[in-house]
Amino acid sequence: MTRDQITRRHFLNFVGAVGGTTALYQAARALDLLPETGEMPQLDLKRVGRGEKRVLILGAGISGLTAAYELERAGYDCTILEASHRVGGRNITFRHGDVVDEMGYPQVVNFDDEPHLYFNGGAARIPGHHERAMHYCRVLGVELDIMANDNRLAWTQDDESFGGERLRVREFTTSARGFMSELMAKAVNANAFDQPLDADDQERLLAFIKAYGDLGDDYRFAGSSRAGYSSGGFLKHGELKPALEFKQLLNSRFWRMGMHFNEHVDWAAPRMTPRGGMDMIVRGFLNKLRAKPLLHAQVQAITLRDDGVEVVYHHRGERRKLSGDYCFNSIPSHFINGIPNNFSKDYVDALTAMRRGNFFKIGLQMKERFWERENIYGGISYTSQRINQIWYPSHGIFRKKGVVLGCYAFGPDQSNWFERMPPDQRIAEAAKMGEKLHPGYTDMIENGISVAWGRMNHMMGCGNRFEEDQEHLFRKVQAPEGRHWMIGDQISFHSSWQEGAFASALHAVQDLDQRVRAEAGQG
Amino acid sequence: MRTMTRTTIALLCLLPLAATADEPVIPAQKYVYCTVCHGIAMGGNVVIAAPRLAGMDEWYVARQLEAFKLGWRGVHPDDAGGHEMRPMAAILDDAEIEEVSAYVAAVSAPPPPLTLDGDAQRGAAIYASCGACHGADGQGNEALGGPPLTGLNDWYLQTQLEHYVSGVRGSHPDDDYGQQMRAAAELLPNEQAIADVVRYISTLGSN
Repeated sequence: MTRDQITRRHFLNFVGAVGGTTALYQAARALDLLPETGEMPQLDLKRVGRGEKRVLILGAGISGLTAAYELERAGYDCTILEASHRVGGRNITFRHGDVVDEMGYPQVVNFDDEPHLYFNGGAARIPGHHERAMHYCRVLGVELDIMANDNRLAWTQDDESFGGERLRVREFTTSARGFMSELMAKAVNANAFDQPLDADDQERLLAFIKAYGDLGDDYRFAGSSRAGYSSGGFLKHGELKPALEFKQLLNSRFWRMGMHFNEHVDWAAPRMTPRGGMDMIVRGFLNKLRAKPLLHAQVQAITLRDDGVEVVYHHRGERRKLSGDYCFNSIPSHFINGIPNNFSKDYVDALTAMRRGNFFKIGLQMKERFWERENIYGGISYTSQRINQIWYPSHGIFRKKGVVLGCYAFGPDQSNWFERMPPDQRIAEAAKMGEKLHPGYTDMIENGISVAWGRMNHMMGCGNRFEEDQEHLFRKVQAPEGRHWMIGDQISFHSSWQEGAFASALHAVQDLDQRVRAEAGQG
Repeated sequence: MRTMTRTTIALLCLLPLAATADEPVIPAQKYVYCTVCHGIAMGGNVVIAAPRLAGMDEWYVARQLEAFKLGWRGVHPDDAGGHEMRPMAAILDDAEIEEVSAYVAAVSAPPPPLTLDGDAQRGAAIYASCGACHGADGQGNEALGGPPLTGLNDWYLQTQLEHYVSGVRGSHPDDDYGQQMRAAAELLPNEQAIADVVRYISTLGSN
């Protein structure tokens, strides 16, 4: 065998013969045989006998539930501890009577007790290429509906442009593309492109540009029906709206945000959401799991042993100890410092280098679906104000009432600004901002809740991730420490997406499977 | 061991397992909140700027909870950590403040790690004037309103001294102790002096 012929399999056999199964397993990790693809992996876990292997799962969010589901199918015994009062983590649907367990500002949801009046306070949207999320919706029997995200009839509003007046998204987008096309056409005609174009290419390119911006035959933009008519269009000739002023378009922050959000890989249309609320996924898991998550069970200590993991937890005034062969841990990385453990310094350093985010959402029950009178059925309006967005429900069209997302805030200037207020004041401020998109908005609000992820009990953050210059630490937190794996969307490059949680859990499950096979001498 | 109030003893009697040095005191269910940020044994968590509270004097914990509640702390725009804390204190009534202070005082945790550099020798000279209220060994003096300084995270001491100097803390007209401390902190000439005195305080006996 020449050197070139040494395949990975040969190499692993060699390592296995010399260093035993643990070395084999470590080498497999180093070679990264667990492939990264966007696809739902085909799991083929080695079955273990009942009562043979016990896995302690810390946290009953999407990653913990996924791990438990797959491991139970392969015969593992799972114990799920959950610190909060509920299952689901940041997959949460608020309905009548639910509690928003925010530190210092507990709120009770006063939406009417009707099936269509709910608010997805965390995960809300699933794109089709999130194969793992789609897979679990399929196998758990979760019905999905298409959910509008991009709605050209929704509003855009910026205090710095068009005198702060609201504009239909279609008007803004049509003019912006028109002007850009006009510029491009001029560049083609001036031969300003680096690439040589023959006459045919040039003709096709001009046609493309004309179609892109809906230019006139003179390659100038003078308004388009894409922006809607100022009058007529059905029984009379449609009159075009004039092009918007280019400088005002540039001043607006809409092109930095909403206008291009719909090009984003994860936000592009169409997208889906479970019928009846995102937590249908959680219910689906609970229906299938043998292990019932133990609520109000807060982890007090994690101790790694050579042959297993020991977890001490606190449940209703009692301290209890559990031992397992392995542990999957989805506790937010920013809490690890506060939980006694015997992890290595490197591991803790890597985990604590991650930074927490603090997305902030407001859900408002509106007494009438006033947006439908403005031709808006689902989708999102965008504003430069701190509420950022208003989401209209895609479900329940023509019903009397609806629950609207009245704010989706990010970062210190927005989230922290809202977080510092008591809940009533947050809603009052969001109402004032909503007025600029919908005059009379405030009077339509019957009640509402705010979901400050940076202040939610047992969470105190969301979307944990490394700063760009620290991403090299990712492999450290993704790899197990002894028999302990960190999981959750935080252990993925899709933090704050359920797909990240699914991916991380499946990666850890496959990794565990490889180790179990290695230990059984079946590498 | 510090004198415990009746509340502390009542709380401890409810525990199913005797609390030892290794096993943190379990709080009543409604105070589990505290441990989410401040750590299971109140050992602090620098990642989320939650200071170590284990073993703090009960009277001082109560006074600070009051200070948060009254808006003496946690309202300044530059005090992100204080803002995060304030609503938690604001919902506690007097009896709850008493209970939670007793709980905090009863917890023990490993001593805080050193995270900052500073010259303890220079710090000792600066500390001479601090000792009048906080005690020569940093043990505190309830009669003078000076809390113990031992067992606090060095990064927390540093932040609070900076907050006193900048007026983030100790500026409220009704906060007499805060104002006193602010005047004292203004005598620290620069960041180095803060680092040095914090380093010195970290060498004082732990609780």
